[in-house]
Amino acid sequence: MTRTARRTLAALLAFGLLAAACGDDDDTTDASPTTDGPAAGRDDDGADEGDGGSVTHRVPGDFDTIQAAVDAAAPGDLVLIEPGTYEEAVDVTTDELTIRGLDRNEVVLDGGFELENGIRVLADGVAVENMTAQNYTTNGFFWTGATGYRGSYLTAYRNGDYGVYAFDSVKGQLEHIYASGSPDAGVYIGQCYPCDTVITDVISEYNGLGYSGTNSGGNLLIVNSTWRFNRAGIVPNSGSYELCYPGRENTIVGNTVHGNSQPDTPAIDVALLAMGNGILVAGSNRNVVERNLVFDHERTGIGLVPFPEEEANDVVPPEEDWDRPCEETRDDPLPDLDPADLGFVLWDAVGNSITGNVVSGSGLADLALGSLQPDLAALRNCFAGNTFETTAPEQLEALAPCEGDPTATDWSAGALDLGALIATERPPAIDYQEAPTPEPPDQPNMPDAETAPAQPATNVPFSVDLAAIAVPERPEGT
Amino acid sequence: MSEVATRWAGQLRAALALGALVLAACSSGEAATIQALTARGADMGPQGRVPQFKVECAWSHSATDDPIVHPGMPGRSHLHDFFGSTATDAHSTPASLLGTDTTCQNRNDTAAYWAPAVLRDGEPVQPTGSVAYYRPGPGVDPTRVASYPAGLVVIAGDPTATDPQPLDVAAWHCGASPILHSDPPSCPRTAPLGARVTFPDCWDGERLDSDDHQSHMAYSDAGACPSSHPVAVPQLVFEVRYPVTGDPTGLALASGGVRSLHADFVQAWDHAALEREVRACLNGGRVCGVVSNRATG
Repeated sequence: MTRTARRTLAALLAFGLLAAACGDDDDTTDASPTTDGPAAGRDDDGADEGDGGSVTHRVPGDFDTIQAAVDAAAPGDLVLIEPGTYEEAVDVTTDELTIRGLDRNEVVLDGGFELENGIRVLADGVAVENMTAQNYTTNGFFWTGATGYRGSYLTAYRNGDYGVYAFDSVKGQLEHIYASGSPDAGVYIGQCYPCDTVITDVISEYNGLGYSGTNSGGNLLIVNSTWRFNRAGIVPNSGSYELCYPGRENTIVGNTVHGNSQPDTPAIDVALLAMGNGILVAGSNRNVVERNLVFDHERTGIGLVPFPEEEANDVVPPEEDWDRPCEETRDDPLPDLDPADLGFVLWDAVGNSITGNVVSGSGLADLALGSLQPDLAALRNCFAGNTFETTAPEQLEALAPCEGDPTATDWSAGALDLGALIATERPPAIDYQEAPTPEPPDQPNMPDAETAPAQPATNVPFSVDLAAIAVPERPEGT
Repeated sequence: MSEVATRWAGQLRAALALGALVLAACSSGEAATIQALTARGADMGPQGRVPQFKVECAWSHSATDDPIVHPGMPGRSHLHDFFGSTATDAHSTPASLLGTDTTCQNRNDTAAYWAPAVLRDGEPVQPTGSVAYYRPGPGVDPTRVASYPAGLVVIAGDPTATDPQPLDVAAWHCGASPILHSDPPSCPRTAPLGARVTFPDCWDGERLDSDDHQSHMAYSDAGACPSSHPVAVPQLVFEVRYPVTGDPTGLALASGGVRSLHADFVQAWDHAALEREVRACLNGGRVCGVVSNRATG
């Protein structure tokens, strides 16, 4: 395909992005109240010495604010938060803390649409447990640059970018998460390879995207979770505006993915573009998508599609570079490219394996593979052992088997119409503050919040027995 | 066809037409003025490479005020677009801005940022927003970057320039593209026109302002601040985004030609909050936020 044709098609693909550009305008203008109290000194008098020298700091018992307790804590300590509403944006810069609410549903950090992040972790090995963060202008819970992180029994509701967000972080565990009402992803992991992270037991709903990750993967497991009623369900993707491209090697197993055609959520442009798809592998590579239950989507159940990027910073790296860890590639000199070669990049979905999924009720196709390049076989994606009704192109499992030679060769019959996938009507994005996101129902608490010892994120991710995961049963009432 | 579907069909045609437009612009690019500069920005590339924090601030208002160059003289300046504090006017001082309302996503940022208005055929173009990136200067040790002094006032870029300025001071670009231009390029609809002004990252340690509003500050060289300006501070890169795509003909700045690009900064952050961001993000070597080139909805 010529550069000309690619550019024109890129314009077509990008057109989905344009429709949203005028939508959301959330520039609230009130001054920020800061609720941080005066910095308290380390208060050992009112704190309990636990096992192994771990000190427990209680809020509000020992400190008026979570921030003050966090600032006073030393590595290994536990910050224990009583029920209440905390109008704080907490920064964590001490390694290996455990920050825990005593009641997940009643310990509420509230940003009031004024504060940026509920808890922002700029340290290693920090665990955050058993609380709710809502109404923040950016994220509910945010880790960046962390080696070792854990979020457990967290509820993130109605936050302006992401619910739970890990960037440039490795060795993580996100579990028992409920995330709703964000225009980007309920749960997002970006810029890591290998990520060495497990996402499990998540419910992500009424977001722009259930899960999204740009340039992330490598021992990144997304398992045993429910992604429903978002604009789109699970969307691993690639882009050269951040490091570690392309996205690759996510393992997506045992998830329940349904009804991701929700029209009245907040939504970034990508969510509008991806709308109506259950698992959309958008220019991400070498992913394993296996034994998921996927149903009720306006477009595709599981779709592998290209992701265009205009005015890109780089070109797609050669495949032999995809094994290089992010830690290594981040120090590469800036690509020395002729400006004429920079501009439009098409991230294709390459080398993905789609097996043993149960997919139904998709408007365009239960299983789909599309590209702007004519030789779809060259992308080396494979489909086998899935339960489905429709595919695009037709006979996809015969065209692209995971083992043995293809038993069909006509890629044109019933080919996925990318134009139809992209260029159809989308309900406009709704401001995250205004969207009718249901109040989160009460969520289960962590066991023994009052008595469990501090457990910093130095032992994560926890192991997952992938082989033991079966296709989920269809939930009652769906 | 529903009304919405009709509109989408129209946009689809427009997108197709855009493709042709982009191609036409590419093929005629060599006819640009010979003095024009185009290059990859020396420090431009994917975000996430160096520590940063960023603040996205909506357009606040436009006025012919300039509290740095023409303090106390409303209407004396060329037309400026203001971002950050909503209170900025000809009488503003760092102290008066503290604690005011702000258009910034980070409510602790009550600083004033402004740039000359972009004019298209003489008419002001209302910006779609701005981003203030705060990073160590290129090659500067992030752990040595100090916060700005309270009340710092500085202008970057040359309001009188008619020749191209260094692209690492003042430049135009499309979306998140690393390619910088001394004259506005033709931008695709998915990556509209932006103006980018890079502020000096070294302070003389004494003055909050100077007669020319620049000489109390300097740019680092090869990761080091000059002995005359020994204090490494964050490098502010201020980008304004405009709803401008396609043919750049007819664009100008309220300060003159498109090469007179410059921007002004009155440091009026909540001081403790700014110090926290510098310490946690820059000194701590963390990426505290990135701007997607896939615009948010």
